[in-house]
Formats: sequence, structure tokens, C-alpha cells
Amino acid sequence: MTTGLRLFISSGAFSIAIAVSYWLVAHEVVGTFLLGFMALALSFVAGYMIVAEREADLVGDRGDAQRADAAGEVVGSFSVHSPLPVWAALALTGIVLGLVVSPVLAGLGLVAALAVGALFIVQSR
Amino acid sequence: MNLLAWLTTTDHKRIGILYLTTSLFYLLVAGALALGIRTQLARPENTVVDAHTYAQMFTLHGTAMIFLVIAPFALGLANFLIPLQIGAAEMAFPRLNATSYWLFLFGGLVVFGGAASAEGAAATGWTAYAPLSEIAVSTGIGQDLWIVGVFLVSVATILTAINLITTTFVYRAPGMTMWRLPIFTWEMVATSLLIFMAFPALAADLLLLFVDRRFGGHAFDPNGGGSAVLWQHLFWFFGHPEVYVMILPYFGVISEIIPVFSRKPIFGYTGLVLSAFAIAGLSMGVWAHHMFTTGAVNNPFFSFVSFLIAVPTGVKFFNWIGTMWRGSITFPTPMLFSVGFLLNFLFGGVTGVMVASPPIDYHAQDSYFVVAHFHYTLGGGSLFAIFAALFFWWPKMFGSLLDERLGKLCFWLLFVGFNVTFLPMHLAGIDGMPRRVVTYADMGALPLLNLIATLGSYVMAAGVVVFVVNVVLTMRRRIPAGNDPWGANSLEWWTSSPPHEHGFTSLPPIRSERPVFDARHPEVAVRR
Repeated sequence: MTTGLRLFISSGAFSIAIAVSYWLVAHEVVGTFLLGFMALALSFVAGYMIVAEREADLVGDRGDAQRADAAGEVVGSFSVHSPLPVWAALALTGIVLGLVVSPVLAGLGLVAALAVGALFIVQSR
Repeated sequence: MNLLAWLTTTDHKRIGILYLTTSLFYLLVAGALALGIRTQLARPENTVVDAHTYAQMFTLHGTAMIFLVIAPFALGLANFLIPLQIGAAEMAFPRLNATSYWLFLFGGLVVFGGAASAEGAAATGWTAYAPLSEIAVSTGIGQDLWIVGVFLVSVATILTAINLITTTFVYRAPGMTMWRLPIFTWEMVATSLLIFMAFPALAADLLLLFVDRRFGGHAFDPNGGGSAVLWQHLFWFFGHPEVYVMILPYFGVISEIIPVFSRKPIFGYTGLVLSAFAIAGLSMGVWAHHMFTTGAVNNPFFSFVSFLIAVPTGVKFFNWIGTMWRGSITFPTPMLFSVGFLLNFLFGGVTGVMVASPPIDYHAQDSYFVVAHFHYTLGGGSLFAIFAALFFWWPKMFGSLLDERLGKLCFWLLFVGFNVTFLPMHLAGIDGMPRRVVTYADMGALPLLNLIATLGSYVMAAGVVVFVVNVVLTMRRRIPAGNDPWGANSLEWWTSSPPHEHGFTSLPPIRSERPVFDARHPEVAVRR
């Protein structure tokens, strides 16, 4: 079991403990729900990690790993530029801003967000 | 400078610098607002600004400092540092990372954009308590823009947290096990976990308020079957962990700096890591200590858990002092700011323990005592660590050292100015001065205490001006600092300054939490 997985399992267990303690002490619904959802979220991540780690073999987890252990096929260099993020952020800002100032702006934001999403899918193929 | 390259960058180092620059810009704006607030309060019954303008000023000041300065600066630092500290070429999701930054920038601009509306910006404080923030009371769109702006920032923060956790778990270099991570990276993992747990509550809270205001909802409207206290529950379920989101990264900063200038390894590495997670975990169970006086929460439970947080925080202080103990301590500017952090934060921590006690809190609630307390933790703590980080990692980011003489002048102006500003506020609070009031009566010691606080704020402003001058002069001179001007320990000091586009051209063997030290001093290298 990796340290990361232990971290999420212990956080989830702590959340369950504190949610139960809070209910027993305070009998208060909102706080218990909030703590309960927190426990659920952390347990979900822990569960996902248990499944994902079955096939994982990370060189970062091996204390005696050498640099050569991380070597694999040469994939070349990757670009450190993409216009998509700024457009995606503009589109999302347009949607929420449009909800306040103008439905037209919200609509434009939605169209732009869909376009960015489509472009992302095309580029990822 | 190629503007298009910065607009389209997905390089974690550039995104980090964008975060840092943007949050420093918001810091200057928030600082200017604070000076306006202090000028208004310099004399009793002053009329520099009217009550509504004053309310907008403290709302924007608080919002900017909480959502746009202290937490995002830490995210910027993490963006720049974490891939370098763990020996990775990039963040796990570079495009998502860039999207997070732009959402943060636009969210902040939307919040401030409210000031251009007819009724001005939001004027309900950074806590936006319902029913004050409901449409029946706050009629302008400034409040709506505040809601959607902060919502965008919260989404950006959640996405960044996911990115940081994934990067740290998956992209570590060969040999960089979790228990060899630098303390800053560990603190950011704990911070990201907190963000992951706390920020969704804020996002939900904001959505409910937005539905109340724009679509006739009644979530926080008692007349429609809602509950105003529900806002406080959801808000503080986010709000108190947010305090630790704003301090844990800076515990990491201090933990990186103190060993370097004490010429010793960090004392109690494991204790420091575990205490970070103890603080993070406990901080999720203390939200209602902000609500003692509502009478709607279980005060003993929240008081007890709040007291408990002092224990792991004390462990950290023990670690830092233990690191300095019998070290060969030197005091360049980053170390000065670190020691200033320890003194200020300790003071804020002690008053924090005081207000965690309901009998004291009932007296101190909404008074200047509380204002003084949280400024000592977040201003004297986080802000001093921000300056420590800037002076420490500036050569790594830009390749040249900031001027030391100006740096020390900046520190002393800020340290003296800070304490002159906020120490008297404790007394003003004890004398009964409430927070968020535009003016006060000419009675007792309040005029003198407020005048002293205002003069202190001007001294702090002078310190910030000295820092800006330092930056301008350094950028003009550009004297190369070398890869590792401080003789530091962690992996980012192995690569060039500023680092290559893809981080590293080579890596040393990683066999402890101090790989760079081990590589340069193999005769004393420690194997964990």
C-alpha cells in the first residue's frame, strides 16, 4: 500500500469518526451531513486508488530506483503552449457573467464552451 | 516579452509566475484599500468616505486578501516549485492548470468589476452573511458579481488542488518516495486535501445564494422556510479550513528556509509532516467556533476541537526552534522574514486559543480584538512568509538576487509597521470597538489607539514601496545569482536559474529529503 493511499484511507476514517462523534455530541443535521459527505468523498478517492494502484508501478515509490528505471520509449518533446485554456476560461466566465448581466452573453459563453470542448476532443485524438 | 506566449502557456513555471504576479497585483489593490480604511479611522467621526463606500472597501479588501492574494500566492508558488521539487517535467494536467489560472484571474476581475456598477461593489464583508447578502437588502448587481466571481475562483482552486495532488502522487522522480518529499510539497498536499474537502461547500453556498437572489429561492430566507444560519454553517465549513489553506503552505515555506540558514537538516521531519495532516484534519471539525454567539451550535464540541489544533501547531514551532538550536544561523532577508513570521504567528496563535474559549469569544465577537487576532495569523504570519518566499526563490525564478540592504529595510519597515498597526487593535477591541464600523465616538483611548494603528499602516506601506523599488532595481541590474545562491537542500536548486523549459537536464541520485545537499556533500550524505 502506497503512502498516498494510506493518506486517503486514514483521512476517510478520520472523517467518519468525526462525523459520528459530532452527531453523538451535537445531534445537529447540517454539520453531520457536511462531515458525512466529506467522509464519502475521501472514501471514494481511497476506493478509486485501491483499484488504480493494482496495476501501478511508479518509480517514485521505489527508494532505490535509478534514473535509468524511468527510461522508456522516446516520446519527443511536448508543447508548452495551448490556446485552449484561456478560451475555456473566457467561455466559462462568459456563462456565469451572462447569468448576471445578459442572457445573450451566457448563450455566447455556452457556445464558446462547446466549441472549446469539441476542439479539445479533436486535438486529443 | 512575447505576450502570446504568456497567454497560451501551459508551462508550470510560467503559470506559477502568472499566479504570483497576479496575486501581488491584487495585494497592492487590497493594501491601498486598507490604507483608505485606516485613513478613515485615523480620527473619530471622520468623513473621508461615506458608510456605503467604506463597506465596499472592507468587503473588497477582505475578499481580495482571502480569495485573491494569500491562497493563490501559495498555489502559484506550488505551481512553480512542486514539479521542480519532485523532479517532474510538468504538472499532471498542464492545460487544466492554465485554465485554473485564467479562471482565477477572471474571477477576481469580476469581483472588482462590481465597483463599476451603479450601486457599487458588494458591501457585505468577505463573509457575505445572509440575509444581508439577500436581494431584499443588497439590491445591486455588485453582490451578484461577487458571488459569480468568487465561484469562479473557488472552481479554479479546486482544479488546482486536484492537479497538485495528482502531480505529487504520480510524477515523482525515481527515488523520490513520499517520505523524501520536501516539507513545502508535503504541506501543499495537506493544503490540497483541505481544498478538496472545503471548497465544494463554498461553491454550493454561493450557488444557493445566487438562486435565492436571481431565481426566487429561499434557502437562506427564514420567511420562506429557509435558514440564515445555514449560510453560516456552509460558509464556515469552508471558511475555517480556508484559514489553514492560507497558512499550511507558508508553514512549508518557513520549513524550507529555516534549515538552509541554520545549516542543519530540519528537526523532526516526520513530526512536521504528521502535524500538517493533524492540523488539516482537525480544522475540518471547528467551523462553528465562528458561530458560538448564534446559540445554534454545540459550543463545547467546537471549543474542544479548536483547542486541540494548538497541539500540532505547537509541534511545528518545536520543530522550527529545534532546527535553529545550535545551528550556524545567519540572517539574510528570507531568514529575517521567517523569524518575523514565527513571532507574529505565535502571537496570533495565542489570541486564537483565547477566542476559541466561548466565554472570551462572547466578549470579543465582532470586535477589533478579533480583527487583530486574524491579522496576526494571516498578515503577520502568511504575509511575512510570502515576502520570505519571494526573497528566497526570486533567484530561482528570475536568475538574480534581490538587493539585501533594501530587503532588510523592507523587513524592518513591515515588522515595525505591522506591530504598530495591529497591536493597539487588541486594546481597541477590549475597549469595545466593533469591527466594520465607518467611524467611532471620541471617547476613552479609542482615538489614540486608532491614530497609532493608522500611522503603523503607513509605515507598512513604506515597506511595500521599498520592496517594489527593490524589484525594479533588481530587474534592471540582472546580476546572475547562479543555480544555488543559498546552499539549499531541495531539488529545485539543482537546475539552472531560471529553470529550463522542461525543468531539468540532469538529476542527482535521490536518497534523502535533501538530494542536492547529498550530491554536494557526499561525505555526510544521509540515507533514509
